[in-house]
Amino acid sequence: MKTIWKRELKGYFYSPVGYVFLGVFLTVSSVLFYMEILRQRSGDLPQFIGEMSYLWMLLSPVLTMRLLAEEKQKKTDQLLLTSPVSLPGIVIGKYLAAVTVLALAAALTGLFVLVVAIYGTVFPAELAVNYLGFVLQGCAFTAMDLFLSGCAGTPMVAAVLAFGANMLLWVMDLLVNAVQAGWAAEALRFISLYQRNEAFLMGQLSFAGILYDLSFAAVFLVLTIAHLEQRRVR
Amino acid sequence: MIELKHVTKKYGTVTALEDVSFRVEKGQTVGLLGRNGAGKTTALNVLTGYFPPTAGDVLLDGMSLREHPRECKRRIGYLPERPPLYDEMTVTEYLDFVCELREVAANARKKHIQEILELCGLEEHRHRLLGHLSKGYRQRTGIAQALCGSPDALILDEPTAGLDPAQTVETRALIRALGKERTILLSSHILSEVQQICTHAVILKNGKVARAMALDAREAETQLRVTAAGDGKRIQKALRETEWVEKAEIVGTGPDGAVTFRVSGKRPEGNPAEQVFMKMTEKGIPLRELREEQDSLEEIFLKDTE
Repeated sequence: MKTIWKRELKGYFYSPVGYVFLGVFLTVSSVLFYMEILRQRSGDLPQFIGEMSYLWMLLSPVLTMRLLAEEKQKKTDQLLLTSPVSLPGIVIGKYLAAVTVLALAAALTGLFVLVVAIYGTVFPAELAVNYLGFVLQGCAFTAMDLFLSGCAGTPMVAAVLAFGANMLLWVMDLLVNAVQAGWAAEALRFISLYQRNEAFLMGQLSFAGILYDLSFAAVFLVLTIAHLEQRRVR
Repeated sequence: MIELKHVTKKYGTVTALEDVSFRVEKGQTVGLLGRNGAGKTTALNVLTGYFPPTAGDVLLDGMSLREHPRECKRRIGYLPERPPLYDEMTVTEYLDFVCELREVAANARKKHIQEILELCGLEEHRHRLLGHLSKGYRQRTGIAQALCGSPDALILDEPTAGLDPAQTVETRALIRALGKERTILLSSHILSEVQQICTHAVILKNGKVARAMALDAREAETQLRVTAAGDGKRIQKALRETEWVEKAEIVGTGPDGAVTFRVSGKRPEGNPAEQVFMKMTEKGIPLRELREEQDSLEEIFLKDTE
């Protein structure tokens, strides 16, 4: 697993993918920082982090599109599947590599926090909870998109599928307030990753939220392993 | 030792392999032959654990691949039809990654990679990106990765496919050198290649084993076609009295009473046809025809797969 994690992590930076992901993420988050914090002379970091969380929806497919689809397309999966590494080890290694780059992107936004800390006030405990929700949400998106990369035949198809699925989750979030039927709104609220993040943005350490995000990721990782195993047996 | 035991592999309703069993003994180099779609690549993929068989099992030194996948996979090096290379890595980075995958100890890795680079003639290209290598060197790197972790058995799927003549000769020489210390199973369409490299051959037809044979033994056997006039039993007796002859079968009788035999046995030191001629002369049997008859691998292949 560690071997796969290391290779994938290096792979992000051997190719332009890692640089594109970090570059776009930091460029867009800089624009958001300017609009939400600098221009308005505000120290409202939770608002800023909440808006940054939409970037996972847009950029998570960039991180996951190659992970499994390209192995299948280029038949390099033959090397991995005939080596002594287990299938769960391969999937988890790849997932952790994507999460590492995602965490690196989140860590780099610490520069913005530093600016606010110099010119204003930062509440470290609240900020830590904000960031926890932010990263967990990214982990959940990444797991779902990794599963779709395993289902797709090429990285491009994987990216389109992942982007579509991420958009669907976002649309579900928009529907929460529009749906009239109470039970339907409740169901959508329960499923929505964005609604789950609300508590974290308010500085509340929500164990239900942590459990939901981790379970969401775990379910998709298990589905990925099961799908790949099924493909081998077929 | 590698053994396929009653292996069946189905893709949906299509049966790619049906009750396939054969063994590759330690130190043998075995060629897996068959027409397109005969199940060669499927057999190799099952053997290397790329996918499991629908029924049956693969044994490596008596150990079940189904029950001990990790142990078994450590003992096999596999070169698929298309070498599994990451174009963005250099040759050394790639081999280092494969060594790590195959659990080669970190302190032994550098020396091990150096030995593999030397063996495969890749030293000069060690820092080149895999994506920039020619087809021949990509194939060599594919063989090099199969050697990582010093596996006892090498499985090579069409190792010379698509190479130019010079590269083909080099790759064959490399495989021959590797075969001195390892068990090798390779698939190929090129029968002359199998003849040159392999000690044994297994011919697949429609997912079944049509024949498994020793190529050395075929070389060591002599077969003659003898036609002589006279009593068939007398001629047969005379033929069997010839020192090297083990079998003398009647294959036909001519309208003039001449009888034709297929005579076979271990190749003697002298000329086998001359010895038969001398025996017939000694017994006073008039010979009509005497010629050496040897089924080439091509003939055997065509007979078995038609």
